[in-house]
Amino acid sequence: MRIAIAGKGGSGKTTIAGTLARALAQQGREVLAIDADTNPNLAITLGLPTSEARDMLGLPRDLMARQAQADGSSKVVFTADPEQVLKDYGAVAPDHVRLIVMGKVNHGGAG
Amino acid sequence: MVERSGNGRDIIVDMEAGLEHLSRGTGKHVSRLLAVLEPYYRSMETVRRIAELAKELGIAEVEVVANKVRDGADRSAIVDFCAAHGLALTTEIPYDESLGQAERGGAAPIDHRPAPPAVTAIRKLAERLIRDDHRA
Repeated sequence: MRIAIAGKGGSGKTTIAGTLARALAQQGREVLAIDADTNPNLAITLGLPTSEARDMLGLPRDLMARQAQADGSSKVVFTADPEQVLKDYGAVAPDHVRLIVMGKVNHGGAG
Repeated sequence: MVERSGNGRDIIVDMEAGLEHLSRGTGKHVSRLLAVLEPYYRSMETVRRIAELAKELGIAEVEVVANKVRDGADRSAIVDFCAAHGLALTTEIPYDESLGQAERGGAAPIDHRPAPPAVTAIRKLAERLIRDDHRA
């Protein structure tokens, strides 16, 4: 399943997203959590140590591309092997929840 | 042993606070949108707009998760708002002081002991999502 969680800032959506991801993983599901917020805090809610959370790299924009679909919509896809992208930019939180951060702007990067 | 869905990995996306990600069209490829609201007007109004946009983008399942619910007055404000705007309210998460304690201590809410009531509500949500996924 692919679940998006939205809501006003401060509504608790990040706490819900992180806790839901861990709860699904504890039920035996394989979970990828994606932090698409420009103020990324999902790592902490997932239980990643603060230092590790701080040092996480945001996913560079050139690793993503918009791909037109047959039905006229478009889809964001990785331009590199997804498993490699997860390895290079992802972190592993407790219960083996994988995390990637999309909204973060890397220092010195092209953004 | 829990059977995995055929689709492999579950993906949970914490969206930008505003509607930007939805407007850019990425929302089309999510199977379900959880719109989180708090029991006050501006938060509920944001969720109404999110739900409207999600429908335009063709997201099949849009459901409302009520968060930080303190009492019956909060509950009826949310129930009334959702009924008036045709929003599917599926989940209620209680207001929970211990979540803040957990996060101030640098711990994930799900690892906090004793288990915060809000976490128990989110676990139930996870179990129901899995049941729905198996049925799909």
